[in-house]
Amino acid sequence: MISTTKYLFVILLLFSLIGCGAHTRYNWSNYDTKMYSHYKNPSEREQFVQALKEILDYAEPEGKVPPGIYAEYGFVLYEEGNNQQAVIYFQKEADKWPESRAFMTKLIAMANNRTKNQKESTKLPVGPEADTGKNVTKQPSEVSK
Amino acid sequence: MKRMLLSLLLLTLVTLSGCVPRDLNKQEKFLAASPRSILVIPVVNQSVDVTAADYMLSTLSIPLAERGYYVFPINAVKRVLEEDGLSDSSLVHSSSASKLANLFGADAVLYVVVERWDAKYMVLTTTVTVAIYYQIRDGKTDEVLWENREQMVYQPKDAGNAGGGPAGLIAMLVVKAVQAAVTKAAPNYMPLAHQANAKALLTYPGKGIPRGPYAPVEQKN
Repeated sequence: MISTTKYLFVILLLFSLIGCGAHTRYNWSNYDTKMYSHYKNPSEREQFVQALKEILDYAEPEGKVPPGIYAEYGFVLYEEGNNQQAVIYFQKEADKWPESRAFMTKLIAMANNRTKNQKESTKLPVGPEADTGKNVTKQPSEVSK
Repeated sequence: MKRMLLSLLLLTLVTLSGCVPRDLNKQEKFLAASPRSILVIPVVNQSVDVTAADYMLSTLSIPLAERGYYVFPINAVKRVLEEDGLSDSSLVHSSSASKLANLFGADAVLYVVVERWDAKYMVLTTTVTVAIYYQIRDGKTDEVLWENREQMVYQPKDAGNAGGGPAGLIAMLVVKAVQAAVTKAAPNYMPLAHQANAKALLTYPGKGIPRGPYAPVEQKN
């Protein structure tokens, strides 16, 4: 009798530990650590960009990309001046998370605007020769203001 | 034997209460608003450690997202606010939730204040303390939907007995002093911040926040 109770006790204890425990919904790849090491050493930008890319590399095949990560990566690309790639990631965020759409629409408009301005400013002095990349995405309509 | 059964019963109760929303009404404002997305804005720092705010900020996305909410990209949000002239987090905090929420299309806004983030040296030991205040406001009505405060304290474990006699005592004192100095020199706040988050946000039923739309619903009446 005592041993049965003991077994039950152990099993129940295990359940109480596992039952509500943390099996994570998303694959974070130490997002928090990456973020704070970026804040600690903001000059190591290259590493930060790579670190964000890494999260996507691991999480995407499993379909466990956490909310905000496409946008986070897109934003550093935007800051690097890589507007067209940035738009692709903003769009991915918007497609995956409807809650992000208003913000992503703004960011996409920002990035597209900059692409346009850059093209115009390079076109003026150089002439018609410079047209490297095609316009990847169409300009989304301004939804929120 | 009786005691065994009693503790078994207790454990059963604990196990059951752990997963079932017992007092649904406790967060009724939050539940009524039932936000899908939470905007995490830069953290205000009231502690003596200048790095506390950014460190704290970086810990917030994971617990909230795992809780089932869409969490806005903290760094992108921070940078956009900076470009809008809101590089000082206390300036951001003095903005209304509805204004901030409107900027990003968020349902709710999380305001976090670091109240304490310090390591104090006291005779042969160092105590590390992290105290955090959390508040979630409605993105439309500005109403406070939920708030909580959590304080975590860490003290290095006792060095243990280094044998008897005066020699042992001195050895133990040396070990303790070294330990305290090490803790003081490089206090590790992050585990405490994570613990504070877990306790403040995730204890539900209790003072934590209910599960969001992306968390599998166990029971929702």
